[in-house]
Amino acid sequence: MHRGKGMKFVGDSRVPAKGKFIPPKDYSEYPGKTEAFLPNFLLKEWMVGAVFLIGFLILTMSDPSPLEKEADPTSSGYIPLPDWYFLFLYQLLKYPYASGDYKIIGTVIIPGLAAIGLLLAPWLDRGLERRPIKRPIATSIMLLTVVLMVYLTWESSVTHNWEQSEQQGKIVKQVEIDKSSKGYQLYSQNCAGCHGQNLEGGVGPALVGKNLNPAIVSSMATKGGGNMPPGVFKGSKQELDVLAKFVSDVSKK
Amino acid sequence: MFQKLYDWIDERLDITPLWRDLADHEVPEHVNPAYHFSAFVYCFGGLTFFTIVIQILSGMFLTMYYVPDINNAWDSVYYLQNDVAYGQIVRGMHHWGASVTIVMVFLHALRVFFTGAYKKPRELNWIVGVLLFFVILGLGFTGYLLPWDMKALFATKVGLQIAASFPIIGDWIKLLLQGSDIVGAQTLARFFAIHVFFLPALLMGLMAAHFLMIRRQGISGPL
Amino acid sequence: MSNKEHDVTRRQFLNYTLMGVGGFMAAGMLAPMVRFAIDPLLREEKGGKMVDVMAVKDITTEPVRKTFSVDRVDGWHKFKEEKIAYIFKDDNGKIIALSPVCTHLGCTVAWNDDPAHPNQFHCPCHGGRYTKTGINVPGTPPPEPLHVYETKVKNGRLYLGEEKPRGGA
Repeated sequence: MHRGKGMKFVGDSRVPAKGKFIPPKDYSEYPGKTEAFLPNFLLKEWMVGAVFLIGFLILTMSDPSPLEKEADPTSSGYIPLPDWYFLFLYQLLKYPYASGDYKIIGTVIIPGLAAIGLLLAPWLDRGLERRPIKRPIATSIMLLTVVLMVYLTWESSVTHNWEQSEQQGKIVKQVEIDKSSKGYQLYSQNCAGCHGQNLEGGVGPALVGKNLNPAIVSSMATKGGGNMPPGVFKGSKQELDVLAKFVSDVSKK
Repeated sequence: MFQKLYDWIDERLDITPLWRDLADHEVPEHVNPAYHFSAFVYCFGGLTFFTIVIQILSGMFLTMYYVPDINNAWDSVYYLQNDVAYGQIVRGMHHWGASVTIVMVFLHALRVFFTGAYKKPRELNWIVGVLLFFVILGLGFTGYLLPWDMKALFATKVGLQIAASFPIIGDWIKLLLQGSDIVGAQTLARFFAIHVFFLPALLMGLMAAHFLMIRRQGISGPL
Repeated sequence: MSNKEHDVTRRQFLNYTLMGVGGFMAAGMLAPMVRFAIDPLLREEKGGKMVDVMAVKDITTEPVRKTFSVDRVDGWHKFKEEKIAYIFKDDNGKIIALSPVCTHLGCTVAWNDDPAHPNQFHCPCHGGRYTKTGINVPGTPPPEPLHVYETKVKNGRLYLGEEKPRGGA
């Protein structure tokens, strides 16, 4: 057995010493003062951590995490939105060259290239220079990517209808509705498509808990208002009164 | 007393070198914000770790109430948030913590990129870092479904549609993630398993590799 | 550094501060979570509502088996729990409602179904027996009498509440 020279001893085992490992620089070789990790530096890090934690706990106390109403797979017309950090991708898929027949560009090719580029960065940018200003190509590509992502996220958030988003997901308490009544039949024919079978909302806002008076209901149903187009209600004046009374009653529950 | 207990263990296992290695190394000036305030960019890695610790702990506690089942998931989340003491804070820590983790990972990655710290000999650590980033995005995506509210369901449908557009194997990936032909009971069970067991296991393995490599190679020098 | 014994060195001071800050972080992080986890321990018990079971005039001195259901809330899960009571009047005319859950190991006892021991409650699992008023017969497995329901009479109806151990008796 080979022993002695050219061997590195690790416990009981003998490892051939190849000596190719690039040893890390001793930190004392770096310019400037050094500081012991424990306790000096760790204390500073933890102080930053403690301040961060306080801010974070205040956030959790002041802003309850959002919870929309329970998922209803049969609901139609819900406009989904991913969490904010996927918004840039969501926005990208809206553009014509990344949707329709070219959808694959937005869903696979662009994110795929970005992912592979990121993974292979050390081999794409092999120069020894580390300063960002001295490697303009790498720096500018990354800056451009970041700017694009910020821009897409921004575009997505300003073009999104947040008010409608909030309406469509709101938790609405279940109320008892007399589904055999004349009022409900009229509601079901004229309004349920947008406001939901139980007045819980959908494309249009929920009506439950709105405390509407009949005059407003009949005015909205015929003349429209807000996002609601005019002339939705198709029926006689009498029917309108029945409908208005029904919706008004339920909205007060 | 602790000193005696420590000595008793150390006598048998020689544990001192294990932590002295971590404790005694010197931190150079160029990463220390106390000397150069601009060095605060070197804090993002540590803060990422801290937020991940928060995520793991709050996630563990949330599963004490959460049920991954379409009939109960939403009710259990509603209950734990509104009826259990401090539920809002614990769920808040997990919900907002997810966003904060993504921000921190992003800032940490940009710092490493712009200081060129990923160059030889640290290529492998960069790769592990990028994989960690992907795992964290995966945790974000799978976690979004779990409360089983409207946005969870419909956003996941879109997400799986994106997966399905992958050439050739797209439909296969979608079915594998979805577990069924609709986003429903089986999807929720799968996403829960992925979110709570598979990805965290991967995350911890990769993090261990990330830290071991840092200790082995040291942090990169000043620019 | 005149008194080496009592002076805190810079390093010690840093170590203590480090422990303090670390403790603060751990506490800030864990306190809400621990309170969250131990919530069931600190919940105030809500007194159960009394449930209408039967008309008082139908109660005789012979125990009758009555089932009734109680609304229960288990977190987000609400359901009706079926309960059984043996209801009768004792020798003084006092209404007694016994829970048929054997105090030995929780089987359900039945009235007067063992020919060898008439007019007793009998448990099929380990042969535990109770007298008519629910007192455990010495020498059989049950360690204490059957629990009794809280009773209330209102408008000629009998209402039952929670079952309570009788203790001693």
